[in-house]
Amino acid sequence: MTSSFASRMERFRSLLSVPIGLALAALLMAAAGYNIGEAFGPLWTGATGLEGGPAQAANQVGFGTLPFHLNLFLCSQALAKTTPLLFTGLAIALALRAGLFNIGAQGQMTVGALAAGVAGTWGQIGAISPVLHLMLVSLAGLAAGALWGALPGLLKASRGVHEVISTIMLNYIAVDVATYLVTHGLKDSHDQSPQTASITHSAELTPWVMGSNLTSGLLLALLATAVITLLIRRTSLGFQIRAVGLGAEAARANGIPVERTLVLTLALSGALAGFAGAVEVMGVQHRYMQGAAANYGFDGIAVALLGGLNGPGVALAAFFFGALASGATYMQTQSNVPAAVTVVVQAVIILLVGVRTLFRAGVSSLPAGALTDENDPSTPTVERPNPKHAPF
Amino acid sequence: MPHSDALRAFVSATLYSATPLALAALGGVLSERAGVVNIALEGLILTGAFVGVWAGAASPIFGLVAALVAGALLGLLHAFLTQRTRMDHVISGLGINLLAAGATRFLYLRLYPTGVQITGLPPQLFLILALILPFVVWLLLMRTRFGLRLRAVGENPESARMAGIAPGPLRYAAVTLSGVLGALAGAYLSMAEAHNFSSNMSAGKGYIALAAVIFGKWNPLGAAGGALFFGFFYALQTQLQMSDIHFNALGIDWTSPFLLDTLPYMMTLAALLTVIGRAAPPAALGKEENDR
Repeated sequence: MTSSFASRMERFRSLLSVPIGLALAALLMAAAGYNIGEAFGPLWTGATGLEGGPAQAANQVGFGTLPFHLNLFLCSQALAKTTPLLFTGLAIALALRAGLFNIGAQGQMTVGALAAGVAGTWGQIGAISPVLHLMLVSLAGLAAGALWGALPGLLKASRGVHEVISTIMLNYIAVDVATYLVTHGLKDSHDQSPQTASITHSAELTPWVMGSNLTSGLLLALLATAVITLLIRRTSLGFQIRAVGLGAEAARANGIPVERTLVLTLALSGALAGFAGAVEVMGVQHRYMQGAAANYGFDGIAVALLGGLNGPGVALAAFFFGALASGATYMQTQSNVPAAVTVVVQAVIILLVGVRTLFRAGVSSLPAGALTDENDPSTPTVERPNPKHAPF
Repeated sequence: MPHSDALRAFVSATLYSATPLALAALGGVLSERAGVVNIALEGLILTGAFVGVWAGAASPIFGLVAALVAGALLGLLHAFLTQRTRMDHVISGLGINLLAAGATRFLYLRLYPTGVQITGLPPQLFLILALILPFVVWLLLMRTRFGLRLRAVGENPESARMAGIAPGPLRYAAVTLSGVLGALAGAYLSMAEAHNFSSNMSAGKGYIALAAVIFGKWNPLGAAGGALFFGFFYALQTQLQMSDIHFNALGIDWTSPFLLDTLPYMMTLAALLTVIGRAAPPAALGKEENDR
């Protein structure tokens, strides 16, 4: 069996996981007594912005005589949801390339959002130059996320603490400490809610469509995708990351500084998640609010796996899950179906994509295909890596 | 004697906080000694918690049985995915956790839009189980043929097969049992402690139970000890929150509920930092036959 055939099989199975996930979610909704037709209509509209009937309002675009129109607001909300998902998906994909499960994107995004929320209130800098202010806020998010990500990396490299447990613990700690800070020292003095003061206008990204959350943050996320893709494919750090992912012992035997790579990878992964938090603060919430990271850290796991851990794939998966999340929110408001059903879709997709082989004889697996890029001559074609499971 | 009363309350809080952790940790020990990483404990706890409330509205005993069956089925799924389809154990566990989180939240919002309150079961029942089961699991693992074979499979599935032991069935059995124990921990949380269900009420306890497994060096009695250790900090946290003790230093209110909340998580990290390197996991943990 040629590797390209196996790789095509995997891609096919990844794609197939989407309709299966949606079908199982429909089944769950039907079993819970919801009318699938009534639920899927708003889900589709919320996901794509396509509505029945001719265009009437200013933010609706018709298509000549066709009996539907594009609702620009709903469409841009779906794209806006893509932004944080793309960042966290990239963060998790990058770490997985090194064989690391960064389940801590939630916490990294939280500290990134908090740091950005604080830096966003420094109007004096915005008065000098709004561009400088935006860069500073971004940097605050990146740095905070990188530090929070480096921590489990250090714990793993120095003491062998498995990153799944440490990142989960750091998620809870980040959220709790952030909540403490916004109820105490960093609290908005004009409001009762646990949140920081509003950021100044100089630190805000302007929405593209009036009233929507879609900003140039999406472009930043796409830019990050390009940068990370190049980093993995073309730089020596990227090579080291892939080598460690394919097998830490072999990498070490070939002189790759494994520990340094682990820490750097998780720091970079954390920086991406922290940046997601900063972009949400600059573009959507305009301050740090409790629950700023929503569920994006965990959503990113499905994004990374469906995307096959490579940049373009992760971007496509982020658009899909962004549309799904936005559609589910709209569905919840229109037909009262809890949006949590999308988490079930994510879970099913993760499980289907993660299946290594349905037959003992063995078509190779998605993780293997995902970690070896057929278009990339520098990728060593090695057996599937064993992510370090060490001390479980 | 107010002092001894406070002490008794504290000891009792420690034991009850340790109960769900110990039950889940025993599940973790069984699964991991057979060589299957069980991140899915978190989802198993949530599932047990939800099914216990859902099926236990009319008859608590029926609710408990239903919760355990649900846990067994989910454990079976984890076994199937990791053994039959050779899925990475962590990915399977994360998928199951998300599945449990999404499905229980969805069904809870659907079934109980205004919340729910159940009679449930006495917490003492679970405490007694948590006190006895570590010894039972220890005997099972260390003193029975089944346990010996289970451990052999967890250390080296190829050699086990050469000795005539099929790794598959043993791993299925271990992970299914692990599901039952995880669900039992969840049933405690919803049926005996809270008397209701709330989204993500497991709050990381599955992962902390895994830390207790590592802390206890994959030994059932050690894992129970680890659970007791973490239970102590849960108790400390809740007792401090209820007390009027306040401690401010360096401009930080250390007794703020939000900071106290981090105590078990901090201690989990601290415990892992000190124990690792001194404890060796089962050699074939997370690996399949002919995987190396």
